Amino acid sequence: MSTAGKRILMAKTGLDGHWRGPTVVAKALRDAGFEVIMIGMARPEEVMQASIDEDVDLVGLNIGGHVDVAVRAIGMVRESRPEVPIFVGGVVPPHAKRKLEGLGVEVYPPGSQLPDIVAAAVRLTGAA
Amino acid sequence: MAVSQQSAQDTDQLLERARAGDRGALARLISVLERGGDAAACVERGLSSRGAAGYTVGITGAPGAGKSTLVNTLLGEALTDAGRVALLAVDPTSPLSRGALLGDRVRMHSHAASSQVFIRSMASRGQLGGLAVATRSARRLLEACGWPLILIETVGVGQVELDVASTTDTVVVVLNPGWGDEVQANKAGLMEVADIFVINKADKAGLQATRRDLESALASLPMERRPAIVETVATEGRGAADLWAAIASHREAITLSGELASRRQQQLRAELRGLIDARLEAELDQLFASGGADTQLEAVGGGALDMAAAGDALLRELCRRASAAIAG
Amino acid sequence: MNSNNGNGRVWNTASGLHLKNFYAPDDVPESHRKHVAVPPGESPFHRGAYPTGYRTKPWRIFQLSGFGKPEDENERIRFLLEQGETGFIMEHDRNTGDHCYNVDHPDVVARREDVGLTGAVMQSVRDIDICMKDLPLATSYGHAGGAVVQHAPFALAGYWTVAKQRGVDLARLPGTGQSDFFLTYLGCVTKQQIPTRDGLRFNADIMEFCDKHLPRWVPVSIAGYNGADTGLNAYQELGALFANAVEYLEEIKRRNTMPLENAARACGGVNFRASMDLFEEASKMRAARLMWQQLLERRYAITNPKVANLRIHCVTAGSRMTYQQPLNNIVRGTVMALAAALGGVQSLGVSGYDEALSIPSEHAHQMSVRIQQILQEETNIQAVTDPLGGSYYVETLTAELVERAWEFFDEIMEQGGFLASLDSGWLHERAAENQSEDFRQQESGEQVIIGVTDHKDDVSPFDVDGFMGVDDAYDVALERLHEVRRTRYEKGASQALGALESVCRDGENIMPAMMDALAAEVTLGEIGDVYRSVFGDWATPIQT
Repeated sequence: MSTAGKRILMAKTGLDGHWRGPTVVAKALRDAGFEVIMIGMARPEEVMQASIDEDVDLVGLNIGGHVDVAVRAIGMVRESRPEVPIFVGGVVPPHAKRKLEGLGVEVYPPGSQLPDIVAAAVRLTGAA
Repeated sequence: MAVSQQSAQDTDQLLERARAGDRGALARLISVLERGGDAAACVERGLSSRGAAGYTVGITGAPGAGKSTLVNTLLGEALTDAGRVALLAVDPTSPLSRGALLGDRVRMHSHAASSQVFIRSMASRGQLGGLAVATRSARRLLEACGWPLILIETVGVGQVELDVASTTDTVVVVLNPGWGDEVQANKAGLMEVADIFVINKADKAGLQATRRDLESALASLPMERRPAIVETVATEGRGAADLWAAIASHREAITLSGELASRRQQQLRAELRGLIDARLEAELDQLFASGGADTQLEAVGGGALDMAAAGDALLRELCRRASAAIAG
Repeated sequence: MNSNNGNGRVWNTASGLHLKNFYAPDDVPESHRKHVAVPPGESPFHRGAYPTGYRTKPWRIFQLSGFGKPEDENERIRFLLEQGETGFIMEHDRNTGDHCYNVDHPDVVARREDVGLTGAVMQSVRDIDICMKDLPLATSYGHAGGAVVQHAPFALAGYWTVAKQRGVDLARLPGTGQSDFFLTYLGCVTKQQIPTRDGLRFNADIMEFCDKHLPRWVPVSIAGYNGADTGLNAYQELGALFANAVEYLEEIKRRNTMPLENAARACGGVNFRASMDLFEEASKMRAARLMWQQLLERRYAITNPKVANLRIHCVTAGSRMTYQQPLNNIVRGTVMALAAALGGVQSLGVSGYDEALSIPSEHAHQMSVRIQQILQEETNIQAVTDPLGGSYYVETLTAELVERAWEFFDEIMEQGGFLASLDSGWLHERAAENQSEDFRQQESGEQVIIGVTDHKDDVSPFDVDGFMGVDDAYDVALERLHEVRRTRYEKGASQALGALESVCRDGENIMPAMMDALAAEVTLGEIGDVYRSVFGDWATPIQT
């Protein structure tokens, strides 16, 4: 298997426009051979709709606010596409990290290194 | 083979669900088409020949011309008329990594969660023409699933975009003010492709000059074949209604004149050729990858065989394999 | 001489300027030496904005402090004032504020738990009134909020309206807003915002209005900080900031509605970032003062010393605060604050040590104030102005930053100016390049961040779990929104809103109509709807 043709959805759950982190991550994923579909700041139902229509293999959420918004997005994605793995990055306080990990979501807080994030995407999409 | 029977069954089921309005199934099928191979051929077999119901509009222009924003505003207009609209947004695949950044949805939040709009981002996966191989098949699939209007957004202007014209019924080319040189440089290609010109960002300096360049470039065409020129400021939604009106009137004109029918005939030719191209290429890749060409390669390398003879031998082998694949 | 000694390591500043092992008198460029002899408070001001420095004007301790409901934020501001903060910043909730949405906008409803996380929700003058309860408006330096350009007229008019209602004379009211292009169009691009040319109009309108009615108010504050924390390096931050100032000054010059000197004075209160390269950052502040004087004299023939002395507000780099081992950030905050103080800034905010984890907790806020108090009271740093002045190293670095910054300024001008460089995404590309380079250096080991790339295994005895915010900000805001709509004089509100829309379309100064709208209890979302219909959306050059 390879990353060719594997599709990753990247969304920001908050209305906070810090674009730097997600952009760097998206480029790293592209350079690793993924097709990265960026949807910007998206409501939970928009994340869900895009994950269906774009038939993605992985959903990446950048969270810049309260964890409950991300939790709602995760719930909606799982309802329609239970088989799709989800990973999360951004400003994730420890209490939020515990909550997300409890949901089976991998969390990459600030300071995570790009090769680790790319490796996670490869593993989660089954491209390894 | 058991496996392909299974996948044929799967795709049939998916197709049935997609026709019944299941968007997840539709999305999965587009992925199948993108991957190509036997499964894609199965889907193709399940699509009946094209009905008259669907209409396809191509929107093309250089990166940064504001296509996505324009499409976002156009979707609003189109929805009022057509009720439901599907969009295939094609972006280039990076030749080095084979990955792609597909960012068109970022500008389409107004329709991001609408049940009346289906948006699919596609990477060109190495196709020079700006359209992914699977785009034509995906369009056929969308039509088969009852989407009455399909927009196809692609990057680029010029010769390489000719296959937009061979895939869509109305072609919109998006330019910006200050692009006089580009108009001159690509004159032949633009004339051949465009049914409608949009000068987007019409609030920027250089509008009149670009319009003049365009008009003089078009002056040689007979009046009735001269593309309309529409000015838009997509970020403010200005001109979207005019553009939609221009598309509707082009559609009406080519329907009445019978040109639509001949365009569709050309589209069929191009699609059929494209389909065979893709399948032959896949077989060819397979032939080389599986070592099927090794004997010839060695012989040519050692001087025992000339290139032409090696080519003949491999072409025969390719045809044999292709026939076997169809029979199997 | 050799920049490449000691294990083959290349010694550079954070912005990539090569460093020598030591510096000697000859290293200071000839043309720069004459500036060194000029005392602080005299042109070209590179040794300080004021003659007596911190002896008479200690830097202002100026912390961001918003969250929750307006009353929560009011409480936090009053807490900080009690702790010794000497100015205050009103932080509006960014979900609603930046986008000019009310809380019932679908994009906010979808993220209702985020409401109040980054500032208090202020949708009408009533909310602003609650947030400003018992604050010493006439005597302390207030920041009204409105960091994002489209939000600024509302935030400012709200603050001024409340001040007026409290009987404060606007002509004597001190304070500032921000209305920053770097934040709005580069660092933190909102989902929807007015195009840059309309943003420029807003800022010029604010400058004109303050010139007439609020002479003690600093109308806009150009925040290179937001460019730097997005990736611009030290000299790029300098060059871009002054390219931004040129846009404002050219617009005022074109309008010819106020003296250009007044406009220059208004633009001369700026905001820089202090990051971890101690000497480069200190040199940057000194370079900035020199550049401002040069810009005004060379380009606009302005030499009035009251205008040509740049006043700097500085904030420590939030992006350098690490998620891992957060208590290390107290040390980082101290070093960055020291860089700012050595550079002679007029006011300072230190990022919370839990910045990478959440919005600052009360304790993190307190530490940010304490760091500054310790520097001011225990280190004797305030005794001597420009203590680094005359250092061969610092003067050479200052001169080199000035030179590189003017080069970058010229590059922006070649792009068609600052606004054009934002519209095209050129400036974003520069920031992104540096960002990618940073990541590469961290992977290769050239850049070390303790706790992140090295020494990852420390265990802290203190548990920092991240501040949770408050639970009821959204509900209360929604309730108050309904109450305003129910109880305001509807006819007056709709007339004021109609008048505002006409002004937006006609191009007159927006501020008088905005003041009327606030007084008539028009809400933020209604104003945002007017903007969206009149101005449309900026064509963002980046995809996020």
